[in-house]
Amino acid sequence: MECSTVYKLAKHLIFLGTSLFITLQCIASNLEVSDEEDWSDDNWSEEVTSPWKFSGFVETGYGYLLQDNIVASNLSLAELTARVNIDYSHESFELVTKSELVYDHILEPASDRAFWKTRELNVRFSPTNNTDVKIGRQILTWGTGDYIFLNDLFAKNWQSFFSGRDDQYLKAPSDSAKGTWYIGDYSLDLTWTPEFSPDVYLTGERFSFYSPQVEDIVAPAENFSVQKTNKAQWSARIATNNNGVEYAVYGYKGFWPTPLGMAENKNQLLLPYFPEMNAWGTSIRLPLSGGLFNAEFSSYSSIEDTQGNNPLIANGQNRFLVGFEREVIKNLTASVQIYIEQTKHYDQFIAHSATPETEVDENRQLLTLRLTYSTLQQQLIYSLFNFYSPTDKDGYLKPSITYRYNDQWLFSGGANLFWGDKKYTFFGQHQQNTNVWLRVKAQF
Amino acid sequence: MKILPTLFILSWSMLVFFAQAADMKNANEIITKANLASYYSADDGSAQARMVIVDAQGNKQMRQFTILRKDQADLGNQDMLVFFSRPTDVKGTVFRVVKKVESDDDRWLYLPALDLVKRISAGDKRTSFVGAHFFYEDVSGRNPAEDNFTLLNSDDKFYTIKAEAKDKNSVEFDHYIVRIDKQHFLPMQVDYFNSQGKKTRTMEVLKTKVIDGFTTVMHSKITQHADGSYTEMQFRNVKYDLGLPDNIFSERSLRNPPKAWLK
Repeated sequence: MECSTVYKLAKHLIFLGTSLFITLQCIASNLEVSDEEDWSDDNWSEEVTSPWKFSGFVETGYGYLLQDNIVASNLSLAELTARVNIDYSHESFELVTKSELVYDHILEPASDRAFWKTRELNVRFSPTNNTDVKIGRQILTWGTGDYIFLNDLFAKNWQSFFSGRDDQYLKAPSDSAKGTWYIGDYSLDLTWTPEFSPDVYLTGERFSFYSPQVEDIVAPAENFSVQKTNKAQWSARIATNNNGVEYAVYGYKGFWPTPLGMAENKNQLLLPYFPEMNAWGTSIRLPLSGGLFNAEFSSYSSIEDTQGNNPLIANGQNRFLVGFEREVIKNLTASVQIYIEQTKHYDQFIAHSATPETEVDENRQLLTLRLTYSTLQQQLIYSLFNFYSPTDKDGYLKPSITYRYNDQWLFSGGANLFWGDKKYTFFGQHQQNTNVWLRVKAQF
Repeated sequence: MKILPTLFILSWSMLVFFAQAADMKNANEIITKANLASYYSADDGSAQARMVIVDAQGNKQMRQFTILRKDQADLGNQDMLVFFSRPTDVKGTVFRVVKKVESDDDRWLYLPALDLVKRISAGDKRTSFVGAHFFYEDVSGRNPAEDNFTLLNSDDKFYTIKAEAKDKNSVEFDHYIVRIDKQHFLPMQVDYFNSQGKKTRTMEVLKTKVIDGFTTVMHSKITQHADGSYTEMQFRNVKYDLGLPDNIFSERSLRNPPKAWLK
């Protein structure tokens, strides 16, 4: 790193640190007082219940890339977030708002670094006895995988996942309407997103990636233009629980969540876009041998390339997952998953590929191991998540330590370590994105 | 004045009757009554609760929640929902249990920030409940079929019973000794010992109250002797026989808590 970079970095860290410290001190001192008051027999008798609920946090995160990378900044995380949650509870509806004021030092140009972000803004109500409706910006999740998604095609934020932000940010919000009908022991969920919500994928701004066109690692950042789509996406699920065994069937009509196609735009420029994709699948989850077993299947149809002979559009896939989790010794939980991603029409795929030698195996295999050890009354949590692909010969290790000092202060640190034999495989392409991170959070 | 001796005799015979009825010899029967008194009062119930968790350095944490419970049968399966309201990072979290007598309990945790219904494996029932010194099992009740009981002592006020797990590998203790109040059969103190015979953990009831005829624990405490850390749990707004409908004990309540029953 050059001297000027170090200087700038130090300056910003001091700014981040100082502002955070002051804010948090104010919050923490207020909180300590109110906590003391609450914990007495007298105060416990009656509490004023307001329909309004306020809460939030201030968090700072800092992370940097451990290897030389072609991205503009050596920082993988340098941000300050102030979150405000305001909820309103009415007899007939619930209003949820979660907003954030963010200063993100990695963004270019500098004028874009501070911004306001609405994470959730939705209203939930029950129009009939057996119907729930939730409308607005919301987080949507289903499926049984752990960091592996088959039937959950709702938006993910991979930049957050790779940079060590809190797990909740892996799920990106969608502007959607969700209806749930309860009929006997069954529930039917239907979500409609009028304007397709893609993943927050890698653009080269924070992290570099492999480009099959360039046949090398690239970091286009603001030059990475994608043709957006504003068409709707639909997701459905039918779920039931029979004596502790959970079954579900899923359906999806929409687009690939990342721009896995190339097409000409109006100016006849070949640009990435989101090809149409439909999917269906099923899952089961049940207790087994003192632990939990889950299995999930999903079939993706890439409907703009049903025969798999268009090299500019991703082929359909069949995805298979089995997993098992249990406590190994007291406070140590282990879970393993075996995942197979099968490319449909593989012969066609290879026959039409310009670079068949760099293409993924017909049956890409992935094994994951998660170890979680909690101690000090769950105040200190050690976590390790490892992805390993025998077919790609690559992997991704996510270790972290979280210390919950009290109800206000949370400290965490970790790393995102990528490795691989080849620069074009799923995790191998991210070797230079390997990073370490630290976060401090104060809640109020 | 003849009436006085009659009354005296009457009350005396009643006393003898109650004393005999109360003086039970069979440890399993006592435990059954204790289990009923602790976890099966009325057919259903609700309560607001809070825990103060104090670590070895004296740092305090708080958890506040509302519990809904419904029995499928006395001493049988039970449904339970726990809705967290404090602190900020667990607010909106819902814990759902289907307690099963014949097999492992089913447990789920709803994490609102991720809209995730996380299932919890059965093995870790003797791990901390949301960071407290109470275990999951202390909240929902340990299945008496997992232990062997011996009546050690019976005095004026308490039955003292020793319990040993049938599967010692499934628990962190060697044995525990429970003191059960003869009047209402609530376990008032439970001491857990390790294999060296050292006391490791103590649960004590600090306050009870009779609500709708049921003697109810209002304040209890669990201490971890190794470092002196402890958790106190208090209840308020305890209600019984509310007529909670079966269908609220479902996944729906995780995302959409049944407001009418949480007031």
